[in-house]
Amino acid sequence: MAAPPARARADYDYLIKLLLIGDSGVGKSCLLLRFSDGSFTTSFITTIGIDFKIRTIELDGKRIKLQIWDTAGQERFRTITTAYYRGAMGILLVYDVTDESSFNNIRNWIRNIEQHASDNVNKILVGNKADMDESKRAVPTAKGQALADEYGIKFFETSAKTNLNVEQVFFSIARDIKQRLADTDSKAEPSTIRINQPDQAGGAAQATQKSACCGS
Amino acid sequence: MKALKRSHTSSSNSSSPSSSSSSSSWIHLRSVLFVVANSSPASCSSSFDRGRLKSPWSRRKRKNVLSPQQWRTLFTPEGRLRDGGIKFLKKVRSGGIHPSIRAEVWPYLLGVYDLKSSKEERDAIRTQNRKEYEKLRRQCRRLLKQYDRTYSSKQLSGKLIQDVHSPSSEEVESARESLSSGERTPDDGTVDDSSSMLLEGDNSSRRITNAGGSTLNTDSSETDSSDDAEVIRASPASDGREDDESDVPTNEEISPSTKTGIQSPVRTTEDFATWQRIIRVDAVRANTEWIPYSYCQATVSENRARRSAEAVGLRDYDHLEPHRIFHAARLVAILEAYALYDPEIGYCQGMSDLLSPIIAIITEDHEAFWCFVGFMRKARHNFRLDEVGIRKQLKIVSMIIKFKDSHLYRHLQKLQAEDCFFVYRMVVVLFRRELTFEQTMCLWEVMWADQAAIRAGIGKSAWSRIRQRAPPTDDLLLYAIAASVLQRRKLIIERYNSMEEILRECNSMAGQLDVWKLLDDAHDLVVTLHDKIESSL
Repeated sequence: MAAPPARARADYDYLIKLLLIGDSGVGKSCLLLRFSDGSFTTSFITTIGIDFKIRTIELDGKRIKLQIWDTAGQERFRTITTAYYRGAMGILLVYDVTDESSFNNIRNWIRNIEQHASDNVNKILVGNKADMDESKRAVPTAKGQALADEYGIKFFETSAKTNLNVEQVFFSIARDIKQRLADTDSKAEPSTIRINQPDQAGGAAQATQKSACCGS
Repeated sequence: MKALKRSHTSSSNSSSPSSSSSSSSWIHLRSVLFVVANSSPASCSSSFDRGRLKSPWSRRKRKNVLSPQQWRTLFTPEGRLRDGGIKFLKKVRSGGIHPSIRAEVWPYLLGVYDLKSSKEERDAIRTQNRKEYEKLRRQCRRLLKQYDRTYSSKQLSGKLIQDVHSPSSEEVESARESLSSGERTPDDGTVDDSSSMLLEGDNSSRRITNAGGSTLNTDSSETDSSDDAEVIRASPASDGREDDESDVPTNEEISPSTKTGIQSPVRTTEDFATWQRIIRVDAVRANTEWIPYSYCQATVSENRARRSAEAVGLRDYDHLEPHRIFHAARLVAILEAYALYDPEIGYCQGMSDLLSPIIAIITEDHEAFWCFVGFMRKARHNFRLDEVGIRKQLKIVSMIIKFKDSHLYRHLQKLQAEDCFFVYRMVVVLFRRELTFEQTMCLWEVMWADQAAIRAGIGKSAWSRIRQRAPPTDDLLLYAIAASVLQRRKLIIERYNSMEEILRECNSMAGQLDVWKLLDDAHDLVVTLHDKIESSL
């Protein structure tokens, strides 16, 4: 069997797990495809359950492997998708600027995070489809910003279609998480980076870490 | 070893969009595929060379596809299947169906028509089914208008105001009850499992709902009396769908007061308005894999496509080509009707994946609807809000792997992946995302034939005489899923050290699977494990 830590060292310096959540059809998968593959399609079939993509980026000379989990938006898949919250280091809350209800639901999604994710998880608010005609816009930028301020998180308006701010969103949250991890590392907690699978039993995740892919 | 692992990971990363966004490549292929579609019905000829793709375990001899000629010789002069359909099902089970007769054959496989029915009986059922579907569509349109008005006007009756946040509940329930109000027919006594009783009631009763539904047609809900006058006159009758959009006599209304002894459906936290919204979101982003299989749908005129879209209240479709608009409108019409028909399930994402092949093959909406109902009789458990159905199926996949390959199972345990969550998507949409369109239909047909055999009670007895032949099972899909994992056992054991890697492998299977090899392996697993699994459940 391969020795994973050695492989991990060769592959990247940090592994960061991100999670995309938000209502059905707001463009989570499109954002991810744009970021991971640089492409866009309008006929993006619905995500069933959960999927992930990987992109390795470089920040301050460090290789950061982003493992980005994409979730189904429908409420019915929620117990399955929430199983992945705990393992996430950062969560992107996505709404559609042309769909007010998807914006109003952000509060519900945040409640979900509070229930299921780690306490120190980084969050970022994303208003997607910002390329759409102003006549179709239902959520003003100021409203998005106000909500983000209320929760003390960063905010971006994006367009997966025109590639507006997509890189910025992922780099921004990755940078914040890397900083947080580096801070924790300096306090001599070596196994901060975890790639354990979602913890179905709940609660025991931190205790059952596997050493498969520790960061350096 | 390490290098191998890395290179594998990176290559699967670069090819990963194929699993979830194969549609883009289809757009490029479309012109080529049109040629195929025009010259002949799409065929699975390449899969029929499978004699060469022998499974090392297989004891089965491959047979040929059910041909149109054979299909015709299976009937008596009065239009009944000979021997109650045993020969028919065996044939489909071993070789699938020729593409040119799929539209004719599927209603039998999916239980729309009883295997013992005569031509005359089927004609009657067809007429009733059509009426019933149209009734559901009228209700859908009314609910859509009601929902729109709830937000655009305050002139509501007291009853509606109560329902502002859930304009659906009462209507949904009334539709539900009306469909459940008949008596069960004696010859349709199959039960998938105890939790499906509610739907069984529907299925067995729907054929006589109209005939026996005099109570339904008596009084109408008063709040609806003005709606019918406002029903949009949609496409002309020549369209063959949404063609009964004309005004409906109010006495066809379904009364909410029609109470029956059948248990009321479990209320979900989602309401009909939510389903209507998500159905539309999913319909306009459906992929176009169906194009080569549905010439008339693919070549629909812009006018007709737009009429259908308006008839179902589709919006935001301007960026779509006519054939995609038309396909989306049909998805909306049938999925909405289903949500009313089965409100315990309503609509769940993934159901559009299951419906798309059906509407590609079956051109009439009402026929496609009832085929979908037949399909969903088993598949609906995948979409239950409580996730009991999906958990149970993942458990069975896990058990199959455990009994077949303890080495692999121990490896999964080590990775905390023995719950087989990595095959979740395969279970939910029945391999639709992992197989090509044609492969999916082949797999489903074989699976449906098993389920039809069990429904008709010709399961074990008819097959047990044939030595070592796998008995029909309701869970063939799960054996096929387990087979697809077992085919990768070496890779998983030697190279994968996390559940993520296995999930990625499973989500990237698109285009990598040989459906007949998969079925061979699945049947082999059925032969050796079926009894053991059944007794363990």
